[in-house]
Amino acid sequence: MKVKVVSRILQANDRLADENRRLFKEKGVYVINLMSAPGAGKTTLIVETIKALKDRVSIGVVEGDIVGTDDAERIDSLGIPVVQINTHGACHLDANMVREVLDELPLQDIRLLIVENVGNLVCPAEFNIGEDMKVMLLSVSEGDDKPGKYPLMFQESSALLINKIDLLPYLDIDIERIKSTARALNPEIEIIELSCKTGQGMDRWVTFLEEKLQI
Amino acid sequence: MHEVSIAQSLLDIVLSECKKAGYKRVNSVSLLIGEASGVQIDSLRFAFDIIKRDTPAEGAKLLITTSPLTGKCLDCACLFYPRGDVVFECPKCSGKNLRMIKGKELDIVEIDVD
Repeated sequence: MKVKVVSRILQANDRLADENRRLFKEKGVYVINLMSAPGAGKTTLIVETIKALKDRVSIGVVEGDIVGTDDAERIDSLGIPVVQINTHGACHLDANMVREVLDELPLQDIRLLIVENVGNLVCPAEFNIGEDMKVMLLSVSEGDDKPGKYPLMFQESSALLINKIDLLPYLDIDIERIKSTARALNPEIEIIELSCKTGQGMDRWVTFLEEKLQI
Repeated sequence: MHEVSIAQSLLDIVLSECKKAGYKRVNSVSLLIGEASGVQIDSLRFAFDIIKRDTPAEGAKLLITTSPLTGKCLDCACLFYPRGDVVFECPKCSGKNLRMIKGKELDIVEIDVD
């Protein structure tokens, strides 16, 4: 006997993501899902964002890594509530993993929650976690061909931060190619060039966040 | 490498359908998988074959139909089928307002049960 089913296989994840989203809304938390390749500078971006905003906005962080707690320790040293998820081999965070750690954060006191996804340009883009906005970070040293090679990540993200622009004089890459390919993939994407190391461009990122948070 | 979690979601959906309606055995599961879904079909079959053991879906085959990546130009309404390279402009009118309308599916369509 044949029975029609017609359901999205990832619907279980989407349902949990919707539950997370409801909880975040109820508690007034704005959630960013931060994605990048390993080594693009996600944790440094979070640290610098905290320094720029912590006097005006209460921030919390979820750190996703395959193993280890190094990133969470960096955030903890700033006095910011942080919880570590170790995925033990899984290449991305999903809605359920995020849900399981939310009780460990004082959500009612947090306005901005930054979720650092596992470093990977493929899978994180496919799993919603209940975020308000997906942000992807690309460092210039990764090369200018990445938007064309990993299109889904750029299509799903609301903002693209191009990091480590202080390295541009030393690299044979065309930053305009990164931007034009990303815009072709996603005409609405907000593109911000910055260097977390020198601070160049950080003001544009902070202003962008202030607008989203309406502060 | 998340085919195992996809196979687990797939099995969960199939087994919950069985439980709801009292089916005893699953013979096959028909899936629609988009070319651009990112799923490795061989890995998915491998994962499903392992996790289905000792369940009513133990003998279930996966019948997979793939869905080609299909784009639509919002300017001239033509359809196009990107092959390999990412397409940035409409092959007919060179318009830049493109939407992918098919090719990302990851759906269960039908199950064959006793």
